[in-house]
Amino acid sequence: MTTRYPAITADVRKLFVERGAAMVEVAVLQPADPFLDMAGEDLRRRIFLTESETGAALCLRPEFTIPVCRDHIASQAGTPRRYGYLGEVFRQRREGGNEFFQAGIEDLGDPDIAAADARSVVDAHALVAMALPHLRLTVTLGDQGIFEAVLAALGLPRGWRMRLARAFGSRAMLEAALADLANPSRNGRLGGEAALLAADGDVEGLAAHIEANMDKAGLSPSVGRAPADIARRLIEKVQLRSVRLSDEAFAALKAFLAIDVPLAGAGAALSAFAASTGLSFDAALENFSARTVAIASHGLNMDAVRYDAAFGRPLDYYTGLVFEIAAQGEAGVLVGGGRYDRLLTLLGAKATIPGVGFSVWLDRIETLREGAQ
Amino acid sequence: MIVLALPSKGRLKEQALEILAKAGLTVNLPEDTRKYHARIAEFPEVEIAFLSASEIAGEIGRGGVDLGVTGEDLVRENLADWEERAEIVARLGFGHADVVVAVPDAWLDVDTMADLDDVAADFRSRHGRRLRIATKYWRLTQQFFSGKHGIQVYRIVESLGATEGAPAAGSADIIVDITSTGSTLRANHLKKLTDGLVLPSQACLVASRKARAANDAALLDEVVARVGAALLSRP
Repeated sequence: MTTRYPAITADVRKLFVERGAAMVEVAVLQPADPFLDMAGEDLRRRIFLTESETGAALCLRPEFTIPVCRDHIASQAGTPRRYGYLGEVFRQRREGGNEFFQAGIEDLGDPDIAAADARSVVDAHALVAMALPHLRLTVTLGDQGIFEAVLAALGLPRGWRMRLARAFGSRAMLEAALADLANPSRNGRLGGEAALLAADGDVEGLAAHIEANMDKAGLSPSVGRAPADIARRLIEKVQLRSVRLSDEAFAALKAFLAIDVPLAGAGAALSAFAASTGLSFDAALENFSARTVAIASHGLNMDAVRYDAAFGRPLDYYTGLVFEIAAQGEAGVLVGGGRYDRLLTLLGAKATIPGVGFSVWLDRIETLREGAQ
Repeated sequence: MIVLALPSKGRLKEQALEILAKAGLTVNLPEDTRKYHARIAEFPEVEIAFLSASEIAGEIGRGGVDLGVTGEDLVRENLADWEERAEIVARLGFGHADVVVAVPDAWLDVDTMADLDDVAADFRSRHGRRLRIATKYWRLTQQFFSGKHGIQVYRIVESLGATEGAPAAGSADIIVDITSTGSTLRANHLKKLTDGLVLPSQACLVASRKARAANDAALLDEVVARVGAALLSRP
């Protein structure tokens, strides 16, 4: 180990192993496609890209979760399994260096979602508390699952639910989506035969019409969007054209997103919200409460844990818990974590493997430690 | 001494020389057309360099030239944080073309970016891969899709020519490309999205924000002022 490693490296490794996460090594040079596929093209300008002699796009690892999950799939290791890591990641940043250390645990395949979620929050908290004993820590928790359950309980059409769920975690995107749904745009250009077929809800007739158009344009009906996909979505769109988001639904969503309470009172706040709006999302609420109980059972100081209903990450593989840990009075998040039950399937796993994990910004922790000395 | 870079060939070169002539800046073209340097008769301290339009954008960003005539699309695409390194001092009124998002005509259900957001979100689960966008404008595409419209999940397929043919060739699903009349799009059975205008572009006089001596800065201001006056007096 070189001296470049953070001073707390040995302590972090020891903590991880004590908590049942075996340390793994991850290659620095990674195929770039999985990162761009999962996180989107926006990542392209923030990673260090290079090319192999054969033209394959490679990058310096910008994070650990995706490589750890890919290595897990490739090794065909059994689950449940917890992987610990500590090493450098490489990103183009305006502030701070381009290479910095992260550590974390990826917890794969545990069917007890509440227990695994709680363990992730508690392990992350233990690491930061060990490194920064002099600071008060705050944990902020959000839940994609609760938001999606509220959307379903509101009885919103599928297309709308998907749109809002995608925007979860981004205030600007969510507001834009709500404004659109309150005031849907007209499909102005549709005319002739297609308009009639769409109004009749004739999927087959419309698909045949579209296939003829694709044929004329030289588009293969099997390479990208299929005629039936386009027909179905067009019919759905025509049907939704006359529907708009009701004032009650709009008000309920706003009230939900404004919930920001200590976690200990979050179950009660959600129940009160459900009662006052007449919405029912009991199953999601039960999962939420089971997790809260599990977190409390670890002896974590619950005063420092908040639930913010609007907190989420607009990435499509996050499915439930998301959380952050920060030091009170200090800018900058020290830990980011969350549940990503869709990620391993997206990366090519044959069976569904649930996963939850966190990553600690060791460079920020080092800075706070130096400040304290 | 300052350097003014002009497009080395084509309509863009002719129109740039016309504007300079109207501004009272006579470019003494070299007799040997293989030479890529010239002078301005009225200002011997202004050297002209003939470069390709995309090289001009790059040289302005690098500080290799002081002023240049090039497309706004190239400045915004080729320079990261372009506003820190360059300034558009005049839009010249020629070389008009729009960078647009276009999808196959057959996508009857897609008229807007919001529609495309829907389609992109479902794409992976339906087709086992992300929506692919062919373009030579990866920076503009990413700013428009990710930054302006919050669409995260798509892949850019870099295309260096005949972008409009990518959907039919099966190498991409949609395109982001530059078009002046839209006829190439129509011929390839593509349609522009109603809110799919990424950038209305035209030829611009662009100044590098590099540091320069006071007399060079004054000279640059003089050239810019003359071009500005010529644009105002244009019928």
